[in-house]
Amino acid sequence: MKIFIKIKEIIANNLAMIIFYTLSFNSFEELKEVPNLLLFSFNLQMIIVYFYILKFPDELGLGHIFIAGIINDVVVGTPLGTSSLSFLVLCFFTSYIRNVTLRPKMTSEWITFIPALFFSNLVYFIIINNFSHLSFFYIELLRNSFFTFLFFPIFYFLFNSYQIKVSKKNA
Amino acid sequence: MADNRDDFVIALRYALLKKGTKQKFSLFFLIILSIFTITLDKFSIPVVLSTRAVLNDFVYEVAFIASTPGKFVNYLGQTSKKHFNVVNKNKILKEEIEKLKISRYDSLFLKTENKNLKQILGLDNTVNNEDDVAILARVIIDQESPYLKSLIVNKGTKHGIVKGMTVFSKNYLIGKIIESNYLSARVLLITDLNSKIPVIIEDTDINAILTGTGKKTDLILEYLPDDLAIEPNKIIFTSGKDGFLSGGMPVAKTYLNKKNKVQIKSLSNPQQALIVYVTNGKFNK
Repeated sequence: MKIFIKIKEIIANNLAMIIFYTLSFNSFEELKEVPNLLLFSFNLQMIIVYFYILKFPDELGLGHIFIAGIINDVVVGTPLGTSSLSFLVLCFFTSYIRNVTLRPKMTSEWITFIPALFFSNLVYFIIINNFSHLSFFYIELLRNSFFTFLFFPIFYFLFNSYQIKVSKKNA
Repeated sequence: MADNRDDFVIALRYALLKKGTKQKFSLFFLIILSIFTITLDKFSIPVVLSTRAVLNDFVYEVAFIASTPGKFVNYLGQTSKKHFNVVNKNKILKEEIEKLKISRYDSLFLKTENKNLKQILGLDNTVNNEDDVAILARVIIDQESPYLKSLIVNKGTKHGIVKGMTVFSKNYLIGKIIESNYLSARVLLITDLNSKIPVIIEDTDINAILTGTGKKTDLILEYLPDDLAIEPNKIIFTSGKDGFLSGGMPVAKTYLNKKNKVQIKSLSNPQQALIVYVTNGKFNK
């Protein structure tokens, strides 16, 4: 019984990391069956990286972000290191935003997500254009980035309330 | 002014070099490591290629396991949905089976008669071409990415699959192998933007290149003559001009869409493929 409590505790304390790795491994084939769902596709990994580096930097290790990025590249078929660099650029912007922000507010953090997303995606596109022969749909990626930005507050409240709950439990 | 610049530099340096209490690596180190990885991947050095193949095999297997719960839920949903149609289909199929049984006896008779006649005339020239290899493989990951429409199959170089081999599903061409690892391989679907197949249109001698659009089954023909108007309901066959694919394999067909415009769609739906045949250019039944 003790082992289950221990496992539950580990999962509760590392949920962000577990979700992050699961997203890297999973291609969500089953969701393709739902009509028009792809129209609202968004990048939850970007939201997790931005939120956790901004609010709880010790909960999501940079090394894990790097490894999850490598896994994501293998699954998607892009050059190795592309997603890692893109996530790390996002981390860099997020860390910078965290350092220069005196009084953090959800709205200002939501707005600063735009330049962070822009530079992160820019790095991604530059690498794909210069280091591979892949073609891609700019409109689809723009839509994906837009919905990533749009859904940020929902996940902000979800992750924030969850982390507060975990912190209270651990205190 | 100078203070502002100093603050900016300090914030940047802090973001790049400062490690958190639980962080083992600095952001700067990991960014350099990422760039190093991308560079190594670009210059396909043999050691890197073999390392990547091992990494691919491992990740594909884990990704397959990770996607199993989702697949199971999807399977349950689909099964319950199908169940409601089964009774009616069963009734229709039983009637069809009866009809087919009768026609099968006819064809068996004709086949035997044909064989006997060929033997009498000395025309029995059955060729056993051992070069046509068909490797049966299972799709383990069906990747929906804006960059690459591809599948991962559970066979690799160990089973004789090499880069460039063609992949068929339900007798129709669905793509070709673009990456072969020891235990897995990646299939570039014909619907991908990067897929180019030399083809010929039914009842014409016009050669063209069939290219994917990235959409489910939609395809387009490139390098067609300017004055050519494609007719609907025509089958598009491989021309075999690439020197690898055999000519005469049906790949796509033309159809009239809702706006009365002729469009092209793949005969198979690559995203529905579960079991595929990997061959060296020709489908071997």
